[in-house]
Amino acid sequence: MVSLLYDSEVRSLKSSDIFMINAKAESVEINKNELAQRLKVERGYTNDVIESCKRSLLGIINYKCVYIRTNVDLSGGNVCDFGFMKAYSKNLYKNLHGCSEAFVMALTAGIAVDRELAKLKITSQAEYFITDAAASAAIDSFCDYACNIMGDGLDCAVRFSPGYGDLSLTLQKPLLERLNAQSLLGISLSPSYLMTPMKSITAVMGIKNEKHT
Amino acid sequence: MKNILELIKEKRIYFDGGTGTVLQNMGLPAGQPPELWNIAYPEKIIALHNMYFDAGANIVKTNTFGINRDKFENYGELIRAGIKCAKTAADGRSDAYVAFDMGPTGQLLEPLGQMKFEEAVSVFADNVKVASECGADLILIETMNDSYETKAAVIAAKENCDLPIFVTNVYDESGKLMTGANPEAMIAMLEGLGVSALGMNCSLGPDIMLGIIGKFREYSSIPVIVNPNAGLPEVRNGETVYNINADEFSDYMAEIAEQGGTILGGCCGTTPEFIEKMIKKTESLPYVLPDKKEHTCVSSYTHAVFVHKEPVLIGERINPTGKSKLKEALRSGNLNYILNEGIKQTDAGAHILDVNVGLPEIDETEMMIKCVSALQAVTDLPLQIDSTNYDTLEKAVRIYNGKPLVNSVNGTEESMKNVFPIVRKYGGALIALTIDEKGIPDTAQGRADIARKIIECADTYGISKNNIIVDPLALTISSNPESAVVTLESIRLIRDLGVKTSLGISNISFGLPQRDLITSTFYSTALQCGLNCAIMNPFSSAMMNVYYAYRALNMLDNGCVDYISYASSDINAPSKQTEIKSEETLRSSIARGLKDSAVIQTEKLLEDNTEPLDIINNHIIPALNEIGTAFEQKKAYLPQLLMSADAATSAFECVKKKIPSEQSDKSKAIVLATVKGDIHDIGKNIVKVLMESYGFTVYDLGRDVPPEEIKQCALEHNCKLVGLSALMTTTVPSMAETIKLLNETDRNIKIMVGGAVLNQEYADMIGADFYGADAMDSVRYAESFYGGKK
Repeated sequence: MVSLLYDSEVRSLKSSDIFMINAKAESVEINKNELAQRLKVERGYTNDVIESCKRSLLGIINYKCVYIRTNVDLSGGNVCDFGFMKAYSKNLYKNLHGCSEAFVMALTAGIAVDRELAKLKITSQAEYFITDAAASAAIDSFCDYACNIMGDGLDCAVRFSPGYGDLSLTLQKPLLERLNAQSLLGISLSPSYLMTPMKSITAVMGIKNEKHT
Repeated sequence: MKNILELIKEKRIYFDGGTGTVLQNMGLPAGQPPELWNIAYPEKIIALHNMYFDAGANIVKTNTFGINRDKFENYGELIRAGIKCAKTAADGRSDAYVAFDMGPTGQLLEPLGQMKFEEAVSVFADNVKVASECGADLILIETMNDSYETKAAVIAAKENCDLPIFVTNVYDESGKLMTGANPEAMIAMLEGLGVSALGMNCSLGPDIMLGIIGKFREYSSIPVIVNPNAGLPEVRNGETVYNINADEFSDYMAEIAEQGGTILGGCCGTTPEFIEKMIKKTESLPYVLPDKKEHTCVSSYTHAVFVHKEPVLIGERINPTGKSKLKEALRSGNLNYILNEGIKQTDAGAHILDVNVGLPEIDETEMMIKCVSALQAVTDLPLQIDSTNYDTLEKAVRIYNGKPLVNSVNGTEESMKNVFPIVRKYGGALIALTIDEKGIPDTAQGRADIARKIIECADTYGISKNNIIVDPLALTISSNPESAVVTLESIRLIRDLGVKTSLGISNISFGLPQRDLITSTFYSTALQCGLNCAIMNPFSSAMMNVYYAYRALNMLDNGCVDYISYASSDINAPSKQTEIKSEETLRSSIARGLKDSAVIQTEKLLEDNTEPLDIINNHIIPALNEIGTAFEQKKAYLPQLLMSADAATSAFECVKKKIPSEQSDKSKAIVLATVKGDIHDIGKNIVKVLMESYGFTVYDLGRDVPPEEIKQCALEHNCKLVGLSALMTTTVPSMAETIKLLNETDRNIKIMVGGAVLNQEYADMIGADFYGADAMDSVRYAESFYGGKK
């Protein structure tokens, strides 16, 4: 069911409505503002250690995304009904205003990043911090990259993840199950709703009814 | 009906194809678990199985893939109903078998995930218990994308039924599982565990599996299962197009059969049509069972290490004998020190790491399990589990992710009686020492005789001699002048017995000056005599010189590529000393975050007889204060602060070697944790590293830590300062709960808090004693806390 597909290729997975987007590490430009923010440095600042951590990270990162396009029913007050899951959230409800469809997605940077971080945690706190920050910025950038592909030609809402505002983390369970993310991406969820690999994201992105002009 | 294992010997047998595909055609809505139909629509499930049997399949997979106690409360009922459907369909047919199908739990196991290994074993065990009561013919563990979870499932099956166990894993285009294992690693582990057939399923189409089948043919001694998907459908112009149809599928499967696929079937997207066409194309092809391979190998969760022509280096550094710092680390439970030794040996080029944590004053079994588990998060090398305690060996081998090297068995009845059953059950290669009740024979022939005795006895336990690596024991020549000669002769004789050999090389020079000279020369000679493995110090350049030179001289290093790379990076590289600018001081090195330079400057100061405590107080701490102040004044960034802390920590480690342990300051301590429900530990780790560089003892409990555990740690170490971190708004209540518990326990415990979502107001609200806006803030508070106390 898994296929390594690069750049803008999108493939649906057999006998289901799940689509997959994969990308090579070098195809996704890490958002510089995001990185600077996570490193807590001024935009543009770098040094040898930061550069070498980024290089090592790009060598091990393995971006994968699965998503579905689904209807969302907003007829109940503050309830977003995706069919397979219901989200009780004022914030998401507001975010999805004007949408009757949405993309529901899960993305990961892969388990090798966790292994590298576990190792750096022992050998160098500076490299651990920098690599962790770069990996967070990287998966976030991949999320933007994937959203651009799936939302191509559509007017979409800002993506929204469990954990933002009042949207409960518990939603990750039905979401990951629906996307078969364990088998397709290797994402697993702990009883306290924490994902492994650590650099993984789940999100919803509404599709606005009126096409953007 | 014949036992399925007998039938496999006679002819090619076939699995069914996809379940979801057919059920969705019958009306199963997307997103609904197909397993619910075992009870809701059993007639449809029976019809599904009948379709496959009619198409010619011999084995149907029960519709139980996603069932376990964590996902379905009525898991037992669903399993019973699923097996009943399959048995109903098989009833009255010949050569028709029911495979109880078990898929992954959906959780990743520790150390990277959260689920404990034994918890996973227990979840699978509950499934197997039900399945074996219901009369399944075999257990199929399938679609596993992690080697560790695969092992948990196999152990559960072995311990709870006598049915044959078949295992298939999911390999991606790179030929590896999602968590990194290649086919060689999986074959080594699964054959060791005694499964009856193994192979691959799902994930990819038969075209990609064709590229991997060669590995199975080369390394597997047992039947190979190939159950691919029907290729991958693509969306073109809004339409779903399958890239492999039933005819193409059968063509590929015929090729796979010719290349070594023994048991064939399908997975997602394949239908009875695929299976029928595949059988037609393959049933008349010559059928050959895999031959028995004689490889000696061990494996980790990523790869296998083969003991053959290439010399194998087994890193000896994680063994407390003669290593006071490691002893201290074991006594204080300092896993980081041990992990660091593991990482450094991996980087130095070891192939396998020996792990021995035996000290009389600690619980060896508990420590061994902790170390093996933690090491497997930071190094992908196979481990050699080294203990004289049988309980320790068994428990460590059980939780080891892969096929371990077990160190050791010897020629005494007692040792063989205790160690062989462990290896028989869990798999593993064994180091066999040529010593028995009468001691170590003086002659080479005597040692070879013990080796023969061990090999013969192992055979009675079903352990073949390719899993035995004999160590004829090198003793120091300082007290046994003939030792080297006898040992080398033993190597030659033991080699003739058809087994591989190993030596604890360093022992040869014990008690002599310039030990490396003797040890490396002995190693070179032993290699010429046919030695396979050396338990050695990978940090010794004399030993590594021999290793690389031997490989280059014996045509093991094509084009001398490895030798050239080693020689140019190591021997001819300019020493670190010359790279360091002459004006650099320890203080400037730390302030600029130059780790190597800081170590060199510290060593220089120590050579000049500067007092260790002076180095800390006059060089390290002022440098840290300098960068700390710059950081507070926003003249330096956090990465720079951390690089300085890294440099300071390295300098501090050098100094500590010179400080008698009674002088080191253990009074300044802090318990640190990220609170329950939160996995964001970066802030906490920054505080930790700064605290350590300022000389604090830090009890770091990690992330997602329950309040009770934090309380226990504070009480155990009588530590009155606790730092809590949280990043998510949702976990602030958990922080409040922890503070409440600590306050109830002891009002003298001071609690400082920090993290992205906190501010002074929040901190006051939840009753914290101090809010640290950043790491330096926390250090200042801790300093004043202990300063104030004094």
